Amino acid sequence: MADGVTAVLVDDHPVVRAGVAHWLSTADIELVASGEDPGVAWTGPGAAADVVVLDLHLTGGAPATSELRKLVEDGRRVIVYSMRDDDEIALQCLEIGALSYLTKAEGADHLVQAVKAAAVGQSYTPPALAGALAGDRSDTRPALSPRETEVLVEWFQSESKEFVAQRLNITLSTVNSHLERIRVKYAAIGRQAPTKAALVARAIQDGLIGLDDL
Amino acid sequence: MTDHAVLTITRRVLLVVVLAIQLVLTLPQLVGSPHGPSAWVAYGLLTSVLGIVAGNVAAARPELPAWLAVAPLAASVLATTALPAGASFGPADWGFGLVGWYLLLVLVERPTALLAALSAHICFSIVWFAHAGNGDIGTAGVVILSGTSFQLGVLVITRVLHRDARLAAEAAAEHDAARTREELARQREQDLKAGFEGQLGALLPLLADLADEQVSVADQTTRLRCSVAAVQLRRLFAENDDVPDPLLHELTACVDVAERRGVVVSLAVSGTATPVPTEVRRELVAPMAQALAAANGRAKVSLLRTATEVRVAVVADAPETLPEAGTAEAVTVETSVHSGLVRSEARWRTA
Repeated sequence: MADGVTAVLVDDHPVVRAGVAHWLSTADIELVASGEDPGVAWTGPGAAADVVVLDLHLTGGAPATSELRKLVEDGRRVIVYSMRDDDEIALQCLEIGALSYLTKAEGADHLVQAVKAAAVGQSYTPPALAGALAGDRSDTRPALSPRETEVLVEWFQSESKEFVAQRLNITLSTVNSHLERIRVKYAAIGRQAPTKAALVARAIQDGLIGLDDL
Repeated sequence: MTDHAVLTITRRVLLVVVLAIQLVLTLPQLVGSPHGPSAWVAYGLLTSVLGIVAGNVAAARPELPAWLAVAPLAASVLATTALPAGASFGPADWGFGLVGWYLLLVLVERPTALLAALSAHICFSIVWFAHAGNGDIGTAGVVILSGTSFQLGVLVITRVLHRDARLAAEAAAEHDAARTREELARQREQDLKAGFEGQLGALLPLLADLADEQVSVADQTTRLRCSVAAVQLRRLFAENDDVPDPLLHELTACVDVAERRGVVVSLAVSGTATPVPTEVRRELVAPMAQALAAANGRAKVSLLRTATEVRVAVVADAPETLPEAGTAEAVTVETSVHSGLVRSEARWRTA
């Protein structure tokens, strides 16, 4: 494997498991295990995978937030993969410590980028999640700068970072830094989780964000 | 004529009558006969009432306090008791008739109180007359009847006038209300017609042009016009549907028309539903509907609702000709083209 990223997938639909395995393989990511039970992420090859892709709505109805919490508390890098475009649940998953929240309507590209980012402990904000963050009215939401808000909204609206960069007359990497800063600000609030702490620490080390910004 | 106006006129007329009686009829009576000093006190008291009433009338405040009637009643007692023995109801009795007129002047708008005060005045005069015991009963009866009946006659006339004025005012108000209702109904009908025509937007001229064969559907421009009209109509049909989230409902309706045309549209919604007035919804949806009508290939429609704003945006493959933007009053519309994509956004501040 070129960049040696390994992933484990927890999803109750065989077709999704097969589809995701194919998508990841085209991006040189090895899906080392997959199954409908969260146990695949704890035992065998899945226990050592870099990234856990977790379907939030496994058979049984209730969102698998407790599974997510257990994985995050164990220091695992988790991407929530859900069929529901629900802002509240998305924000809740970020609060618990998921590095990304993807809806199944979002394509292969977003999943691949999210897995690659998570493998190095970074967040990934797909457009739907950007919309959830932009529409966040909770009292605990972090203060975003006008430019950060604008990047978030434009990314949600256009799904094209090139377009956002041109519109706001900034570079592509600046768009990414803004999105990362926003996620760091979110990671700094609420309950503690290893992934969140790592995000914040790394952003401070890289000079992406100052302590004063938090 | 209002109650106020009727009362003003009545009070003015009575004021002139009372002034004339006091100066022309009673003053010679008072001067020409021997009276006790309290008679002049009574005369002075009545004159002061006259002054108060005249002041109120001059200041266009015809309403008078009911307690003012105490003054004529007191004058009645003073004047009657100051009369020479046996002079009640005789030529020297200047006060009997005058006090009656004063009571009428002060209490004309309060018939019950007036009748009670008049009765008290008459009763006291009769009792005093009987107490003296040497007067002519016949003369007394004539004086009481003639004086009182005249005053009661005036009271009845003012009440009738009052009632007629009120009826006339009510009839006029009813007539005005009917006129207003009629005018409102006419205006509403006109607004509805104009509003519907306005909302139909590009449809009516397009149908006219097609019917007159001035344009052809083979023409790309005409097809774009048809497309715009179809989205507008579909949105209009959705506008009055009773749904929990009307804005999203209208957006979905427009997306549906575009999808039927073969455009691949994705719709993303964020934030919770907030109430948006119909006119604002119309303006919010219009730019997106225009852009969708012109779109080919792919389009992304998004609805974002934050704490302070509602934003409807569409990003689509840029068409050759951008549809002309309509006029918006409540919302801010921005359209731009970058890297082959057109973005059109309408924003409305909720707070």
